[in-house]
Amino acid sequence: MEVKKMNEEGNTLEIKNLVIHYISEEEVVKAVNGVDIIIKAGKTLGLVGETGAGKTTTALSILNLVPEPQGKILSGEVLLQGRSVLSMSDLELEDIRGDKVAMIFQDPMTSLNPVHTVGDQIAESIEIHRKVSKQEALKQAKEMLELVGIPGERSNEYPYQFSGGMKQRVVIAIALTCSPDLLIADEPTTALDVTIQAQVLKLINELRRKYHMSMLMITHDLGIVAEVCDEVSIAYAGRIVEHGTLEDIFDNLRHPYTKGLFDALPDIEARRSELKPIKGLMPDPTNLPSGCAFHPRCDYVMEVCSQSLPENKWLSETHCVQCHLYKDTNESML
Amino acid sequence: MSNILLAVKDLKKYYKVPKGMLHAVDGVSFNLEKGKTLGIVGESGCGKTTIGRAILRLVEPTSGSVIFDGVDIPKLNKQEMLHMRRNMQLIFQDPFSSLNPRKTITQTIEEPIILANMIPDSDKRFMRVMELMDTVGLAERLVNTYPHELDGGRRQRIGIARALAMNPKFIICDEPVSALDVSIQAQILNLMKKIQREMGLTYIFITHNLSVVNHFCDDIAVMYLGRLIEKAPSEMLFANPLHPYTQALLSAIPVARIHNRPERLLLRGEITSPINPEPICRFVNRCNYAMPICSKEEPGLIEIEPNHFVSCHLVGQG
Amino acid sequence: MSETVTRKELMGETVNKYTTRKEFFKQYKKKSRLEETWNRFLRNKMAVIGLFIFVFIMVVAVVAPLIADYDTEAITINVSNRLQPPSTEHIFGTDEMGRDIMARIVHGARISLVVGFSSVAIALFIGGAFGAIAGYYGGKTDDIIMRCMDVFLCLPDVLLALAIVAAFGTTLVNMTIAIGLSFTPKFSRVVRSAVMTVRGIEYVEAARAIGSTNTHIITNHVLINCFGPIVVQVTLYVASAILTISALSFIGLGIQAPIPEWGNMLASGRAYMRDHAYIVMAPGLAIFVTILSLNLLGDGLRDALDPRLK
Repeated sequence: MEVKKMNEEGNTLEIKNLVIHYISEEEVVKAVNGVDIIIKAGKTLGLVGETGAGKTTTALSILNLVPEPQGKILSGEVLLQGRSVLSMSDLELEDIRGDKVAMIFQDPMTSLNPVHTVGDQIAESIEIHRKVSKQEALKQAKEMLELVGIPGERSNEYPYQFSGGMKQRVVIAIALTCSPDLLIADEPTTALDVTIQAQVLKLINELRRKYHMSMLMITHDLGIVAEVCDEVSIAYAGRIVEHGTLEDIFDNLRHPYTKGLFDALPDIEARRSELKPIKGLMPDPTNLPSGCAFHPRCDYVMEVCSQSLPENKWLSETHCVQCHLYKDTNESML
Repeated sequence: MSNILLAVKDLKKYYKVPKGMLHAVDGVSFNLEKGKTLGIVGESGCGKTTIGRAILRLVEPTSGSVIFDGVDIPKLNKQEMLHMRRNMQLIFQDPFSSLNPRKTITQTIEEPIILANMIPDSDKRFMRVMELMDTVGLAERLVNTYPHELDGGRRQRIGIARALAMNPKFIICDEPVSALDVSIQAQILNLMKKIQREMGLTYIFITHNLSVVNHFCDDIAVMYLGRLIEKAPSEMLFANPLHPYTQALLSAIPVARIHNRPERLLLRGEITSPINPEPICRFVNRCNYAMPICSKEEPGLIEIEPNHFVSCHLVGQG
Repeated sequence: MSETVTRKELMGETVNKYTTRKEFFKQYKKKSRLEETWNRFLRNKMAVIGLFIFVFIMVVAVVAPLIADYDTEAITINVSNRLQPPSTEHIFGTDEMGRDIMARIVHGARISLVVGFSSVAIALFIGGAFGAIAGYYGGKTDDIIMRCMDVFLCLPDVLLALAIVAAFGTTLVNMTIAIGLSFTPKFSRVVRSAVMTVRGIEYVEAARAIGSTNTHIITNHVLINCFGPIVVQVTLYVASAILTISALSFIGLGIQAPIPEWGNMLASGRAYMRDHAYIVMAPGLAIFVTILSLNLLGDGLRDALDPRLK
């Protein structure tokens, strides 16, 4: 097993003012509209949002994998341990993909190649990045399987012989072969049953602590955030509307959308007669509302909200929010 | 009790597969009172989707009886069944694939009314469609739109309107909000509850999302590998889950809280195969409390306390 | 704007404003899907070129008698005028019998198109019906129908057409039927797989849940959603049919002289190819351009009809 090199101190990932639009002949999809993200070494950031928040596009940009002809990165910087990803050559990108940064996706069914054995797929990453023989790579692949809780003998089996939860474990094994500094997990457990999800989350937690790995956990589930993350960014219509530590967001939330998200959750302990949804519809990224994109659905809307975008305001060293309510105050207005 | 709208008795659905017999639903029985909501929960492979289809005879049950309003559904002939369908409807999970992309909202909602020949006059029928759209909260200007022009929440409302079109007594909701955003889920669930109150409907609510079930359902039935392993009123189930699987299931729900986080009970291993299952407790290989008898005999469904049924040797012992 | 409308408002408005469906629909027009597809199609330059060319060919075929009189120019032998190179009087020159090549091309277009479309129509209706039934019902029905179709698939198109023609004679009708029958199994497969795809989609199950009969489901839900792949196959098979009839005529078993057909024009002109290239170039080009335009059209349709659901 490869000896893990310490994740350098400082910020593993810094995204500054990222703007990405998908431009086609018919329309412009404003997926990401000025996103700032910082992930410190060894920490996990939860990126929370629903449809149209721009989470997946942001994640793809970290590896410069935004679909080319239509996806255009209009401005912004993506710094991986200080190096700019967007200005890297293809060769440099190939180097870091899988090695420094690994990504796991939502659907384990389509992440694995059905015609290669599981062992081969894990070994592939090892061969590329570690320059060892095929024998050696397969041997290490077996060890990786054991690490994620699958018997090593199964490395000769094909993906179809595994269940959904086990496939996701294989995907995690592939992602971790080269001990990446940053793991991007895009809704890794959404397609899994709840009891399997619990197992997989436990595994992710153990591994990230063991390898002192930084992680970007993309999810819409605040429960998963509470379980796995250190900090949280709440995304809406391509912007980060609130960001903070777990305490900041769970105990001291400020943004009306964040409040709406928590209120809309059914509580398994308190049985209410009615749930409290957020009124209105998800924003249409081809036709965003003027000013603050959340204003049509906001219970605290003011006139200025439809006229101008709110600035990012720091309420404390760790907690910031983008909302006109907090222009002149740090106290909760909700 | 003549208050019982639906009585399912020993319902089975087996599929013949190359390796043998797949027991999708393996002898499930329960009663459902009029005006109530029964939640059927379980994870993939438990048979909850199949049982919904079997009750409505969208797949033919292998054996067992489904007595709806006094009528044994599997015994009806084709004509009678077509007629019976007006009373029992289905709301689908995927708002994208459950609507014909080439039909407008009006055409989709109108179709059941036309098929049942309930309102021959075209204009009157249209008024009924408008009424239904109003009930589910769809604006009138959407009459001539196609599904692809609308978002998931609105599409699901169309599905609900379609299910209501024939004035059914009973609706099976198959994961109706799983494909929707969290902020929209609550809207749809509130709507469904409101309709239930106003129209006196009886629901079966199939889902894998337990947090939603507590709000919505009066009783909850937990399924595992085709069998009903626990059934109780909602509060009772959440307060006192008896079957080890139910306990693990409830504790696996991610809680959106950072203080006082509950202890997680993790299950070992994976779900076993539903093909040619042995007549023992099907949960035995994952159970932390497995006893010798669990690998020898299948536990029966026992009423441990009033209205609380469990199928487990450990609990049965007392 | 509120997304929900209260019942009072609704009833009030409807009672006052519109009481019939027609009036309502006038107010809220349908956004035609056809329009969207058409716009998508128009954006594909190659497809539009294909469409133009093909429409041109069709128009030419329709107005053929206006361009060149059939009897005098296309059929009547005028030996003194034979093998003239292209000139202002005879744009493509004259053939070995002194007939105006352009006149023959233009009338030949009629034959090619008529045979092309009719044979595909036969294949579509017979093959399509069987394919739809096989695809929808599955099981033994599917097996029986498909094995029958397989028997026909085993026979090469040309051979089947040959057999029919040899037995029943080389009339235009026989040719059309022959080619149509040889395409039937192919169409049955296309329709079958389209139907099988749609059959598994939930709205079909929804239709069953509201009490539709199988026939109603097939006509109302399944077939109308299969148009895409079927339309594309139609254009491609029309091209194939035209090629087949030309091939048959080329080997002498299709349309017989003196009726002008691109294939038999190629055959009879072959002998003079070396010194009078134009005699085969014109029919050859005609076949090539027609097939090309149909293929471009087919590709363009496939891309435009691709359900890129938002």
